Amino acid sequence: MSIPAAALRVVRPVVASPGGVAAAGADYVVVDRVRKVYNEGSRQQVEAVAPSSFAIKAGEFVALLGPSGCGKSTLLMMIAGLDAPSQGTIGVAGHALTQPRAETGIMFQDPTLLPWKSALDNVLFPFLAAKRAVGPADGPTRARAATLLDQVGLGGFHHHKPRQLSGGMRQRVAICRALVYEPDLLLMDEPFSALDAITRDEMNLVLMKMWEEHHRTALFVTHSIREAVYLADRVLVMSRRPGRIIEDIRIPFARPRGLEIGETVEFNEICGHLRGKIQHTPQ
Amino acid sequence: MSIRRHERAWRPALRQERLRPLLLPTAFAPPLLLTWQALVVIFGYPKVILPAPSDIFVALRDNSAMIWQQTVPTVRDTLAGFALAALFGVGLASLLSFSRLLRDAIYPLIVVIQLVPKIAWTPLFIVWVGIGWPSRLTIAAFIGFFPIFIAMMAGLESTDRSLVRLCRGLIATPWRTFWLVRLPASTPYLFAGLKIAITLAVIGVIVAEFISSSEGLGFLILQSAALLRTDIILAAITVLCLVGLVCYGAVHAGELAVRKWHGE
Repeated sequence: MSIPAAALRVVRPVVASPGGVAAAGADYVVVDRVRKVYNEGSRQQVEAVAPSSFAIKAGEFVALLGPSGCGKSTLLMMIAGLDAPSQGTIGVAGHALTQPRAETGIMFQDPTLLPWKSALDNVLFPFLAAKRAVGPADGPTRARAATLLDQVGLGGFHHHKPRQLSGGMRQRVAICRALVYEPDLLLMDEPFSALDAITRDEMNLVLMKMWEEHHRTALFVTHSIREAVYLADRVLVMSRRPGRIIEDIRIPFARPRGLEIGETVEFNEICGHLRGKIQHTPQ
Repeated sequence: MSIRRHERAWRPALRQERLRPLLLPTAFAPPLLLTWQALVVIFGYPKVILPAPSDIFVALRDNSAMIWQQTVPTVRDTLAGFALAALFGVGLASLLSFSRLLRDAIYPLIVVIQLVPKIAWTPLFIVWVGIGWPSRLTIAAFIGFFPIFIAMMAGLESTDRSLVRLCRGLIATPWRTFWLVRLPASTPYLFAGLKIAITLAVIGVIVAEFISSSEGLGFLILQSAALLRTDIILAAITVLCLVGLVCYGAVHAGELAVRKWHGE
């Protein structure tokens, strides 16, 4: 199974998009024939990710869509530097990736907050965990963390501990924590999958607002078709295990996007097309 | 019937509900002591066999200076042994959490040693470190070490793996991950071990005082037994009970503080 990287990198717009969007920036993240095999050489060998190649341009918001267990999270963890590919290479900002980068912001499926720290201190945790240019006590840094919390609607909750916050509020704190050190790349691993549908819509709005304000190159892993189409500039579809990229489409909606775009015919056509791709995956 | 149940549900929660675990036993103790007193008086048991609560009170009052004098070394050795146990238990568990190899080599051995009744080692320690406070302290520390070590290991191993992964993503060093996440995350577990260890430390000191000592409440109990002063034995046990209660209460208060810190 070795498909030339170039063949997969072709963007096939389903819906005609006004030209010029693709030329927005240079390739920021380059995933080149990356493959992941667990328990290699043993009887329980599992190929989680089949050789996959794609690139994300600077400033682009890409959604990686696929059924559960297709290896999309594995792929994201490899781009985060938290997992090593069995084969292939990943380049971020022009450097080959060998370990986690200080300039990558990550959001996990769970908020993963420290229960004994307040919302504000959790947002400041990246400055405590590793040596950065400034420490967590730095005035402007604290002010920025506080502003982020205000922006996601947690104005009155700076000093609440995670247990005193709802699931959605905790994930909002996690968004702030991923943005506070101004990463150049934002990786999100199904961050809203544990939330109820209403909270999830709300979180999508919050994320959209934050992304439009901070505009980082972003990769968002999800198994929700609507979420992917709503959030992303581009949607990559992964097949069932072993996952490989089977579709790469551009989402034409202008920003800022409101939740009402979900009601449009165009939106639902794109969703229908993606659903077809996921359901008719060749094994 | 259903209406009454309804009324009950609507009744505002009484303040006593929270004090109930304290109030109920406190209220039940006096009748128990009175019954004891009554039985001794009615059946006329000799004081040597079963002193009445009043006899114990008198013994406590008349010998208060002597009992206090013997309480000090027992408490001192207990606390020192407990502190040592905590130091070594937390220290070794922390060390093993850094190395899978060390952990796999040492942890099973400690679990095996743990299966032997620790009291059985007491004479050996007396041979090794001699009679007197060093052996008492060592025994208390030895007995208290295991629950602390095992609780701490459990705490460190059950640290939310996603938190550890977060730290890796934030390029935290293993040491910073330990200090900022694994250690604070394991404190609720640690306190479960500390609570067991503090009671075991008292046991260790008393047993050591039984075997070889010229001071302490254990020594006083043994000596009073030789003199058939049952009332003083029970007075000493009463004091021991209070000592245990205060020590346990202090650890429990620490646990509550930690739980509050964790936002519970």
